[in-house]
Amino acid sequence: MKAYLAFVKKEWTELFRTYKLLILLIVFLLFGLMNPLIAFYMPEILAAAGIDPSTLGLADPTALDSFAQFFKNVGQMGLIVVVIVFANTMAGELSKGTLVNVLTKGLKRRTVVFAKFTVASITWTIVYFVAFAITYFLTDYLFVIGSFSNGFLAFFGLWLFGLFLIASVILGGILFSRMVGSLLFAGGLVVVMTLLNIVPTFQKYVPATIASVNVSLLMGTLETSDFVPALIICGALIVGFVSASILIFDRKQV
Amino acid sequence: MDILSVKNLTKSFNGIKAVDNLSFEVPAGTIFGFVGPNGAGKTTTMKMILGLLKPDEGKAIIDGMEVKYGETRTNEVVGYLPDVPEFYSYLKPKEYLKLCADITGMPSDLFIIRQQELLHLVGLDNVNKKIGSFSRGMKQRLGIAQALLNEPKLLICDEPTSALDPVGRKEILDILLAVKGRTTVIFSTHILSDVERICDHVVVLKEGKLVLSGSVSELKNKHHNDRLFLEFETEAEAALFLKKSPFAIIGQLDRHFLIGAENIEKTKADILNWLVKADLYPKKFEVLEPTVESLFLEAVK
Repeated sequence: MKAYLAFVKKEWTELFRTYKLLILLIVFLLFGLMNPLIAFYMPEILAAAGIDPSTLGLADPTALDSFAQFFKNVGQMGLIVVVIVFANTMAGELSKGTLVNVLTKGLKRRTVVFAKFTVASITWTIVYFVAFAITYFLTDYLFVIGSFSNGFLAFFGLWLFGLFLIASVILGGILFSRMVGSLLFAGGLVVVMTLLNIVPTFQKYVPATIASVNVSLLMGTLETSDFVPALIICGALIVGFVSASILIFDRKQV
Repeated sequence: MDILSVKNLTKSFNGIKAVDNLSFEVPAGTIFGFVGPNGAGKTTTMKMILGLLKPDEGKAIIDGMEVKYGETRTNEVVGYLPDVPEFYSYLKPKEYLKLCADITGMPSDLFIIRQQELLHLVGLDNVNKKIGSFSRGMKQRLGIAQALLNEPKLLICDEPTSALDPVGRKEILDILLAVKGRTTVIFSTHILSDVERICDHVVVLKEGKLVLSGSVSELKNKHHNDRLFLEFETEAEAALFLKKSPFAIIGQLDRHFLIGAENIEKTKADILNWLVKADLYPKKFEVLEPTVESLFLEAVK
């Protein structure tokens, strides 16, 4: 336990001193602000560009538009930033050889995996919550947040998908020992899931669903029964990826 | 008593034997030189002793315990300094040692004492900057400090001096000499003067095989001064000498030759005469006292 806490502390120090935490906080803070503001000023933005919103069939913006911006920004750019920031957490140590000293000191390999997963997950949770809280309160100020269906499930889904990507870059890093391998592994999974999602019957099982149909869920046009299976499979895959990371890392030559 | 014994260790990479049926013992309390040209299998052997590589055959026994691949209990009594130790560049030396101490579960009060002692030993006690700005020599010294943190019974150093300038090398050798008696040191190198300076036992590897082993003084006594050392200025001269000379070349490394002689006086005259006739003028011509270098050249021939 002491070793785990020591390694967690080391991971935090790394995030602070390499400015990764700062970058993430700033990016997600900006996302948080942007979502409601873009939704709110969209008619003005369009007007400034010389487009009459009514010709596009757009109604006045609502809270839903603000949340749609949230899922678009955080669910795409936000996840990409998180993946890039954590792509090197395992791969970097393996390619540089920084783990040799600590492993020959008797640090358990699973402790390394657990500590890295913990710190990345907590970081993702914090920045996700920052973006969410800002968007939520600003939306409530600019518009009025009425009632939505399945609000918790929609926001929980995107958060869980973030954890899935974190587990993927850790496993990718262990498999390929290079940041590029780690990125390609996570990216490849997303591509595969996007392809699978073309087949309508697969959609409710593919984990990518929980990061892409959140707005429909909020609007109530998507049944939770078409969302929850993907959520459960995503959770199972996270557990599976972390376990696979430990098993493969235990057999890997460093 | 032997702190380490290596028995029939074998490891191949892609069908090429990097370490071939290697056996040797390291007596406790010695500084043990692990010598061989680059690619002789030194690092591979060390990594197997540390459980970082899985041997194809054979085993290593440290302090009575067999080394297991992966997480091995033997590492509790071993300190390891990799050839190029890599640290977390954003940590300061004290923070790094604290991380190592916490990993091994060392009590805080003991850590404070050990940390001061070790940082003083390696000359980093007044350094409070991030490791990222360290020179190679400083990283190497911090590497020794982290390896010694747990008072290991066996300290394994992989080419600790190879990448350093003469000042840095001397510092490392002095530190290793200073810890002698407290721990056994295995130290791999291809720099023979370093071995001569601090080692009392030596094994020589060539292409993964053991070619020479024993205590340095014993080995020196066994070999008489019936050898001549020749060094040429250029590769071309060396090649010509190798091709044309009628003498018994018993060792060669690049432009350096070791020549055996039954009658040293006669061979000396013969060689000098031959060289004048061949219009070849060596840079160095010497009747050898047996040195580690001559033993090495002969062994890896």
